[in-house]
Amino acid sequence: MVEVASKRVLVPVSESPSLRNTVAYVVQRAVEGFQDGGRPTEVHFVYPVSQRVTFGEESAESIAAGELLDIVSVWAEEDVGENADAVEVKTSLIRSRDYLFSHRDYANALEVYARSNDIGLVVFDPEYYPAGTTPLLPTLEAEVRRAGVEVEEAPVQRERRGPVLVRRGNVGQFLALFGLSFLFYVLLSGSVEPTGVVTGAITGAVVAVSLWRVSLTAPIHPVRTARRLWRMLFYVPYLLWEIFKANLEIAYIVLHPDLPIDPQVVDFDAAVWSPLAATALANSITLTPGTLTVDITPQHFTIHTLTRKARTGLMAGGLERGVRFVFYGLAASRTASPAERLEQRGEDS
Amino acid sequence: MALREIAVLLFATGGSFFALSAAVGLVRLPDLYTRAHSASKGDTLGGLLTLTAVAIAFGGGLSTFKTFLLIVFMFLTNPTAVHAIVRAAHDQGIEPWTAEEEP
Amino acid sequence: MTLAADILIAAAAPFLIASFVAFYRVFKGPTMPDRVIGFNVVGSNVVVLIALLAGAFDEPGALDIAIVYALLNFLLSIAISKFTVERGGVL
Repeated sequence: MVEVASKRVLVPVSESPSLRNTVAYVVQRAVEGFQDGGRPTEVHFVYPVSQRVTFGEESAESIAAGELLDIVSVWAEEDVGENADAVEVKTSLIRSRDYLFSHRDYANALEVYARSNDIGLVVFDPEYYPAGTTPLLPTLEAEVRRAGVEVEEAPVQRERRGPVLVRRGNVGQFLALFGLSFLFYVLLSGSVEPTGVVTGAITGAVVAVSLWRVSLTAPIHPVRTARRLWRMLFYVPYLLWEIFKANLEIAYIVLHPDLPIDPQVVDFDAAVWSPLAATALANSITLTPGTLTVDITPQHFTIHTLTRKARTGLMAGGLERGVRFVFYGLAASRTASPAERLEQRGEDS
Repeated sequence: MALREIAVLLFATGGSFFALSAAVGLVRLPDLYTRAHSASKGDTLGGLLTLTAVAIAFGGGLSTFKTFLLIVFMFLTNPTAVHAIVRAAHDQGIEPWTAEEEP
Repeated sequence: MTLAADILIAAAAPFLIASFVAFYRVFKGPTMPDRVIGFNVVGSNVVVLIALLAGAFDEPGALDIAIVYALLNFLLSIAISKFTVERGGVL
């Protein structure tokens, strides 16, 4: 354990479920360290802003970061309470002149800040994910440590875990999984003899017992599922036709001597909500004319397009409408296309 | 030549054509992302059509159903797999190729 | 041999050729994801190939092999892409 007393501590913050507890932990440690006497502990809460910030211009991220830092300092004051002379709380936005992209960039930004403020210890929130990007905490910690700064991870309870493997399930899920496995087994074996049915039932039971809380993420609504499957019947032919056109186009491009392509990556915000709908839309996009889903965060799609024509087709939003029709019904399918939404937003701001 | 055989011939020819064009695209296209286009679409439709031909050739029964199962499975997994690979590449920071001259 | 079986065998040839062409991408690279995509294409071509032969020789058992092979092929792509992204820890 590193003594926090009479030292300066750096705590990088981001939106995270365990941030509140991390703040409490750091402040408590600082207060304990002060009981031996000495100078107050400086706690620096910092937020590395991942975008290039030009003067006089606030990006959405830096505004959000500023608000988060305000909240953090309020929390810290709460925790400090009567020991106001023990802890000195500072908050800071680290504005980088470069895009922060990889864990190394973040580590550099933290290191520079630590050096210029003479900080010897960095305490990480166990769920620290800068700006929702991918840098993994162990890698980031290793980078900072390599730079010669001591690193610690706050041993706090996570209030809510992110993607959990085992969830609570109900009997409906269990039965559904059992039924599916059983049906699949019988279909593959292709016989309805007693032996086959019994082994099928046993296999299905084993699968259901071991996986019923893992493989189905939400309770099953038979009626809604049936309705969706029914509407799917209308969507699939449309999708198949689109796929057929897409392939003719790709075949034409590939076999054309000049290879007439103009690839470009575009972003758009999709108007679908559930993970299942997002998956369906992403797969449909991948399968149709000249578009390929690269990355999805909830609602935000990054899409690689092969030709100019594909980009206009994507923004016209036929597929999105189709997926909305399958999942939310006919009324929801009459919505503005991504291109129109983009125009509206342009007028608003 | 019965109607069934004509259908088999049509689907098999179409499928083979798309599978071959996908393979050609895989070789000719300039970078990972564009190749992924070719792989995800061409292969899926090529497999789809050819498997339909197989299903027709089996002429009903359990085997046709199994082939149908295979079709559905390929239809779901192929784009997903390609998407996973492309996302991995994207996260690694591989830059997409773009046309040199701006139009 | 029926005519339909002949057609199916004839259709197997382009798929075999396509697999070999895709192997070029597996060997050539240049990046890891390129190879994985190449291998994915090889795999799904082989699945179709197995199904074609199953149809041509009227061997329904081979269809099961095709289904399992398709599963493995999918798993392979997902596993490799997951592995390359999260090199810090294999999940």
